[in-house]
Amino acid sequence: MSKKVGIPRALFYYNYFPLWNTFFEELGAEIVVSRNTTKKTIDEGSKSCVDEACLPIKVFYGHVIELKDKVDFLLIPRFTSVSRGEYICPKFGGLPDMIRNTITGLPEIIDVDVDLWKNGSNPLISAFEVGGYFTNERRKIRKAYRKAIESFTEYRSEVKKGVLPEDILSKKLRLIKKIDEPRLNIALIGHSYNVYDNYVNMDMVNKLKNNGVNILTIDMVSSKVIKEKVKNLSKKMFWNYGTRAIGSTMHFLDKKDIDGIIYLMSFGCGIDSFVSDLIERRVRRKKELPFIVLTIDEHSGEAGMDTRIEAFIDMIRWRKKGENNISAYG
Amino acid sequence: MKLGKMSLYLGVDVGSVSTNLVVINGESEVVDKLYLRTSGQPINALRTGMKMLSSKFGQNTVIRGVGTTGSGRQLASVIIGADIVKNEITTHAVAAQMLVPDVKTILEIGGQDSKIIILKNGVVYDFAMNTVCAAGTGSFLDRQAARLEIAIEDFGAYALKSNSPVRIAGRCAVFAESDMIHKQQTGHSTEDIINGLCEALVRNYINNLAKGKDLEDTIVFQGGVAANVGIVAAFERALGKKIIIPKYYDVMGAYGAALIAKEKIEKSSQGSNFYGFGAAENEYKARSIECNDCSNLCEVIEITSNNEVLARWGDRCGKWSSVVKKDKEIVG
Repeated sequence: MSKKVGIPRALFYYNYFPLWNTFFEELGAEIVVSRNTTKKTIDEGSKSCVDEACLPIKVFYGHVIELKDKVDFLLIPRFTSVSRGEYICPKFGGLPDMIRNTITGLPEIIDVDVDLWKNGSNPLISAFEVGGYFTNERRKIRKAYRKAIESFTEYRSEVKKGVLPEDILSKKLRLIKKIDEPRLNIALIGHSYNVYDNYVNMDMVNKLKNNGVNILTIDMVSSKVIKEKVKNLSKKMFWNYGTRAIGSTMHFLDKKDIDGIIYLMSFGCGIDSFVSDLIERRVRRKKELPFIVLTIDEHSGEAGMDTRIEAFIDMIRWRKKGENNISAYG
Repeated sequence: MKLGKMSLYLGVDVGSVSTNLVVINGESEVVDKLYLRTSGQPINALRTGMKMLSSKFGQNTVIRGVGTTGSGRQLASVIIGADIVKNEITTHAVAAQMLVPDVKTILEIGGQDSKIIILKNGVVYDFAMNTVCAAGTGSFLDRQAARLEIAIEDFGAYALKSNSPVRIAGRCAVFAESDMIHKQQTGHSTEDIINGLCEALVRNYINNLAKGKDLEDTIVFQGGVAANVGIVAAFERALGKKIIIPKYYDVMGAYGAALIAKEKIEKSSQGSNFYGFGAAENEYKARSIECNDCSNLCEVIEITSNNEVLARWGDRCGKWSSVVKKDKEIVG
């Protein structure tokens, strides 16, 4: 019987699932992904997690709780860095320990270190460690890793074409309401696990789509472009996310067809609090582009979010009509 | 009041604290306005308002268009039949521009929300709303007035009588309240404490909402809190600029909704969706259902009248709301 690996549908799931999925499939493991985030996920997650943690971490807890009795292993890598010389949020590094110390009855946790900070660090080492849980054949692991990178590359290139990760991962095409207004291009900047988790972001992506908006995200900008853009910064960003968020914002600012930028921020996120402010200043200095910061937390009332989204879209359309001297807001 | 068979437009703003109705004529002038307390029962407030308007205008007028706004805009639209359902930012901006054509900055403080709207070349250029909490909004002032046993209408006048302002923490409503109690215990006068509170609220508003924005003249202050002379004075001190309170400052959302409805109706050849004043006479029931079909446990709201389901919302998957979706789509 094949071993079951549980993958929580949270945090870096949205970045790396195709990689993990292929890797475990090649090793003959059965992959169990938790279901989409629901109210129950958040309720259970916040009950077992420390109060001070941000919403995405609480959501992760909820997904772990859903999976823990159904699988032989849980994949909770200890991410320290995913790019040379840049760190990510420290909560990722502490995640396996946080989970172990607060949730009981856990299966074995695969908490491989992923630290690409140093020169010469190789993710293949992490792959060998994870593969070791399933096979002793190094060749098999090497092959699984190669295939995993292939499907990851394919996934990334689809996203760069402008397809939302959520649409690829859930393999379904949504019916979009037709509207008469011209379509708008709005950049939605935020952590992948906030931008692509439709429960956490109060279905923002679909609300925007239904208002005739094409959404562009950080992941649609290639790392080459981002590297090029951030060269102009006076100082290197500390975080991988910060670099990608600022770099892609600079890219969007240089594009002519972007109608507005939304920064989606998690209440209590240390990184967001810096990055959102840096981005806001940059946007306002550079261009008269509509910009708004939207904050998400455990609120379930959507009225506040809806009002802000509607007003933001109204503002963009009104401005556009103003440019053409047609008065209308309706 | 004697009126001919006039063509009028109705704007309704169902907010957390007040429910406002404004009737305008074909020249965009306000014919009548009502400011009613929502008291947590928006349907009742709406019915009261509709009855009052009905007895005044009932037979002699035609309502040609209706707009709703405010946090209860969907609810209101279902009950009275609206032609447009608009968010509060847009309606407030439209109304302010009508009354003060050269407005550049709109300060708005309502019951639960506070907003700042920046206009450039006659269009909304930027806006911000208070973030997660409702500290420093009208409902908080209401509560403090009640605690000090002062009528909210007199609250601002007290502040003007202050000689030396007391510093009150304004970042959080809970902190502000405990700070006020401490200052009371140490013997500061009520006038000084109220003035301190007004300054704290304004400081918080400027730090939070106006952060990084240029507040250019002409500045307009609207929303229920604009009635508070203490807050107005604190704003003028903090900004060093004159602040204009528009004539219909307390019903600007409803006025804006009426204006947008009028524009929409005048442009299109369609008639109004308005159900008539009589519609409010019907019994309306709102109930919430917890859907147990999946682990989202959505709280679905259902509005019924005479056992007929008029609307449902609050479900994530659309299974409840799509049942009653008619040909008419409600859009923001």
